[in-house]
Order: sequence, then C-alpha cells, then structure tokens
Amino acid sequence: MTVTLNDLRPVYVVGVGFHRYQFLSDTPYVDLGLTAVRAALADAGLPWPAVDSAYFAKALLPMAPGRAMLRHLGATGLPIVHVENASASGSAAFRHACLEVAAGLAEISLVVGVDKPMQVGRAESLARIGSLADDAIAPFTHFALLADAYAHRTGATVEDIALVAVKNHGNGSKNPFAQHQKARSLDEILGGKKIAGCFTSLQCTPIGEGAAAVIVASEEGLRRQGIGLDRAVRVAASAGRSQRVYRDATRYDAMLTQETAGIALSEAQISPDDLDVVELHDAFTVEEVEYVEAMGLCPDGQAVPRLKDGEFDIGGRCAVSPSGGLIAMGHPIGPTGVGQIGEITRQLRGEAGVRQQTGARSGLAHMVGVGAVCYVHILQAL
Amino acid sequence: MDDGTLLKPALYQAEGSAAAPDRPALLGGVCATCGYVFFPMQRYGCERCGGIDLHPRTLSGAGTLLAAARVHLHAGKGREAPFTMGAVALDDGPIVRTLIDNGGEVPQPGLRMATALAPAVDAEGGPRLDLRFVREARP
Repeated sequence: MTVTLNDLRPVYVVGVGFHRYQFLSDTPYVDLGLTAVRAALADAGLPWPAVDSAYFAKALLPMAPGRAMLRHLGATGLPIVHVENASASGSAAFRHACLEVAAGLAEISLVVGVDKPMQVGRAESLARIGSLADDAIAPFTHFALLADAYAHRTGATVEDIALVAVKNHGNGSKNPFAQHQKARSLDEILGGKKIAGCFTSLQCTPIGEGAAAVIVASEEGLRRQGIGLDRAVRVAASAGRSQRVYRDATRYDAMLTQETAGIALSEAQISPDDLDVVELHDAFTVEEVEYVEAMGLCPDGQAVPRLKDGEFDIGGRCAVSPSGGLIAMGHPIGPTGVGQIGEITRQLRGEAGVRQQTGARSGLAHMVGVGAVCYVHILQAL
Repeated sequence: MDDGTLLKPALYQAEGSAAAPDRPALLGGVCATCGYVFFPMQRYGCERCGGIDLHPRTLSGAGTLLAAARVHLHAGKGREAPFTMGAVALDDGPIVRTLIDNGGEVPQPGLRMATALAPAVDAEGGPRLDLRFVREARP
C-alpha cells in the first residue's frame, strides 16, 4: 500500500526568498537565482553547508543550469536535480524536495526556480501526430475558448471575467516582487490591447524572468542547526496528477484541478471551506473562476457572484492570489510554483505585510502545466 | 476532387462520410479494445485504455460548436490575425479545435457546424486546400 506525505515524518517550509519577477533584462540567470537562494537562507537562518540537497526548477533555461549557479554559494558537493514540468516545474520540484525530507533521505533541502524567457519547442509536436490548426492556438487562445464556453455555460459577461484581473492587479500593486505593481481599473483592463476572445493584455500573464527559493526541513534538521519551529509552516499535503480522458475534453485543466485538489484536501483532512489563502494558476482570468469552482471554494457557476461579493479578496473569506497571481505577480515558469509556496508561507506566518490575510491558518498552492500535469500543495500554520 | 491538393491529407479527405456525404470527412481512429474514437488517427496506442489495436475511422464533417474566439494576435508564420478559432464537438465523438470561417463574425456556442475546404498555401507558397468549419447549411 502506498503512503502519503502526511504518513511520513513532518516537513516544514522554513525559508523563502525571491528575485523580483520582471521583464527580460540583461541580468544573468545566476544573479536571479543566487539572490533568491541567499534570501531564503537568510530567512531561514541557515548556512549553505546545512543544505543536504537541491532541486532546481526550470522550463526554459538550457541543460544543467544548477551547479553553474549554486557553486557560487560554495561547492559543497550536494546532490542537484533539475526538474522540468512545464508551468508546474517549481511545484514538482517542491513536491520532490518534500518527499526526500519526509522520507529521511535529507534533513534540509533547497528548492529554487529560475528562468529567463527563451524560445523552446514542445515535445508533443515531435510525436508526428497532426492537428487541424494547433499552430494557431497559443495558450491565450486555448483559454479564450474556455472563457467563451464558461460565459455561455454560466451567463458570465466579459466584464465579469475581467474582474479577476482587477483584483489580482490590485494585489500585485502591494507586492514588491511582482512583475506588474500597478492597480488597474476595470476600464483600463477592458480597454487594453485585444489578444484573443474576451482577453485584453492585462488579463493575461506577462512573459518575464525571475527567481524564487524555499527551504524545506525536518524537525531533526532544524534541531541540529539550533533553529525552532516558531516561523515554520507545515506541508500538510502534496498531490500530483496528469490528464486523463474526460467526457468534456476541452475542460481538462478544470477536471484535472478538481481531481488533484480533491486528493490534496483529503490528505490534509480539511475541506475547501478551511482554506484561508489560495495561490492558483491564473495565467488567464477565466482560469481563476474555473479553478475556484473546481477546487470547491464555491459551487459551479458561482465564482463571479462570489468574486463580486469580495469573497476572494484579501480580507474576504479566502484570499485568492494575494501575491497578484500569475496575472500580476508574473509567471517566469520555473520559479512560479516555488513562489506560490513562498507567498503562502508568508501569509501563514503573518508576515505578508499589506497583503496579509488576517488569521490565515491554511493555504493551498495550485499549478497546471502543459501536458497536462497538475500539482496541489496544502500548507498549514503550526 | 484530387486529394493531392489538400494541405493536410493525413487529417481529412475531400470525400464525405456516409452521414455527411457532402462534407469533407475527418480521418480519425477507433480502438478495437475499448471503442474509444479519436482524432487524428495514430498508431502509438489508445489514450483511454492503452490498447494497440487501432483502426482508421472516417469521421463525419459535422458537429456542434462548443466555443469560439476571435484571435487578434498571432506570432507564427504563415497565418495572419485576425482569424477565428473554435472548438467543435464532432457528431462522431471527438472534439477538434479548428479554424472557423464565418465572415469574421464569431459564432455562438451551440451552432451546428460542418467542414469545408478553403484556399490555403503550403510552406513553399504553393496553392492548397485546407479544412475549415463553417455554419452548417440548413436543409
């Protein structure tokens, strides 16, 4: 019989660090990543030699960027593994670092995500299975089709769906690590450059670069370093799934989210109503309304009324994308899933400053990646 | 019509199916193990059950529109925005994402759609015919 993360010894997030997500610059990826790792070590109060293993998430950088970066912290000889899992690379890296620590193979592990915008192909195109017009379906068009179907199914308007961007740009304006840090009105968002379907540019995640790092540890690892659990956040569940054949094939992202979130909530033995903060894959506005319903934060078709009621605002029943989400915080790919863990950790520690969701005790991080794959983690304050 | 003029002859044919004889048919497949009908035909293995006894099946060029979107931005070569994309649930089961020809107007979900061949060019600029979905003509 298989076990879950929760059946193994406890794993804690003990340090988080970022390099701001930003538009493409001349900054080498090494600078981006080292900034985040050093910040995470300082946040944890740990010296680099205390780290037993490193998981390096990237989807765009070329082969083996890890040691070329981490050696500048001192080449301790720790094992380094690179994780590529499309948009979910950082989430997958986090899961496997947690599993290693939970299994007792390491006491302290680093997860770092770094990427810079680069052109990479998709392996699926090498399968030599043709398509009618997949070359014409950029991610924004895939989700624009879902938005049209969502609007038709629920009666939501273009303006309703754009409210997600108003909320998330507002949150991003309070986050010094966000790529977009400017609050936007509904008119500004709707009046932006047309992309596809109902989407304007501010309803789509920006292309960018950046880095995020978190450090996970066991109690034993912390004890050896003389560090207590005062600022530690427990990793209460980790679930990863991939796409199956669904009856409604166009909604595979939502179906996969529903399945993966259900597994994680069950593992953590909590219900969606127990969640205080959620960071989800809102690369496009419609994803947020689809996924909050899929996760059970509200019934099907109720996301827009709940959004309008402020239920997903910071200060609402459950803050969704308090970092600004992929729409405002950004989506540099490799770092994104790691950054979600960083934001939730800050929220559960009560260290999120002006973005703080008061009294946050439980948080959920969700990423989907092309393929499709999906990861959900649940974190809890002690 | 000579199928040699088609842009993607592995995916569709000018000749129709029994159910829609006047519309170009799509070249799908069926799994003999579980009955799953898919598009396009492939021989790697069934996505639903993993079976490898896969057979070609001609799919009717008729279906129902699930969603559509006008695309205003496109970076790829050989295709200029704006154009309209749609998701169509074929009467024979699979859902395809396809170019929609509807005079620049975005059709509403629920509309009946059918295949048609439209002028296109291949990578070398040669004239070809490519598949589109259009509003199904009323009987």
